[in-house]
Amino acid sequence: MLVADKISREDILTELFNIGVGQAASTLSDIIDKRIGLTIPNVRILDAATGKIELDKYLLQVAEGAVMVSSISFDSQLEGKVSLLFPADKMHHFIDLCLHENRDDLVDNLEFTDIDFDTIKEIGNIVINSIIGELSNTVNIPVEYTLPEIDVLNNASADHFVNCEDCRLVLMMFLAFNIEGTEIAGAVVINMTLKSLDEILNEIDRLYNGR
Amino acid sequence: MTKVLIVDDSKFSQKITYSFLNQYSEEIEFIFASDGQEGLEKFLEAHPDFMIVDLLMPKLRGQDLIEKAKQVDQEAKVIVLSADVQNRVRDVVEKMGVLSFINKPLDDKKAKMICDIIGNGARGR
Repeated sequence: MLVADKISREDILTELFNIGVGQAASTLSDIIDKRIGLTIPNVRILDAATGKIELDKYLLQVAEGAVMVSSISFDSQLEGKVSLLFPADKMHHFIDLCLHENRDDLVDNLEFTDIDFDTIKEIGNIVINSIIGELSNTVNIPVEYTLPEIDVLNNASADHFVNCEDCRLVLMMFLAFNIEGTEIAGAVVINMTLKSLDEILNEIDRLYNGR
Repeated sequence: MTKVLIVDDSKFSQKITYSFLNQYSEEIEFIFASDGQEGLEKFLEAHPDFMIVDLLMPKLRGQDLIEKAKQVDQEAKVIVLSADVQNRVRDVVEKMGVLSFINKPLDDKKAKMICDIIGNGARGR
């Protein structure tokens, strides 16, 4: 058997998401005009129950559960919700980098202005579009987005992100951005229907069959 | 002065777009709208020379704003600035007769491209 034959559909899906995340990092780097170091994430496809356990571990480890969440739902042929999670206590520094400003007095508190929320909402929008849009282009399945939402959650639990009734699967990627020595351990959580993942995997089969 | 209407529900993106374009051209008067509906109202009221439009917006989507603007003025000059990287979305929007479809985030190169379009359009008036 050729090595290529052993590549699973999940491996290909992981690679497709990695390309999207790489694109997102490059986009972020353009926005803040600084190089962003990025750990290559591993995509994990889990059932909802296991996904919740893994996500709760992350939430406990990072910022003691206080996270800023930017999320967008998508429907049409693919249905689900993608959330971009950042530890809330690192967000002032990150927002300052995005706005090319420096507000020393705001560091580390969890108070955010409308401008802060607007900034992270738009950054989240751009990053999520990079990840989902690139996948959509590759597998040639269109998605329609809802308006992005933004929130800060204290004591966040996985139930906040894995709660769609019909969504049985969770795709999780933990990524660490390093911006000028500040490490931001983020996570991307995609909660989607089993049918959606099947559609993607079937399309991957069709596209990569025999290669 | 060339009148440019920026329609984007993100103040952050409005600021970025304004800053980049202002850096390349001082001959632009900027007007801002924070959703598609406000964009349509300002388009009808101010008759901008160019409209820079985001797609995913509350009240009226960018696609619907472009369609309504084109119904009023078939020659309306629209540049789309969107985070949506889907090829199908680009294909559909480009068929609506927009001057250009540019993906966010804006950078020097893209801003220069927009200013060239605006500059050429202004000279053609």
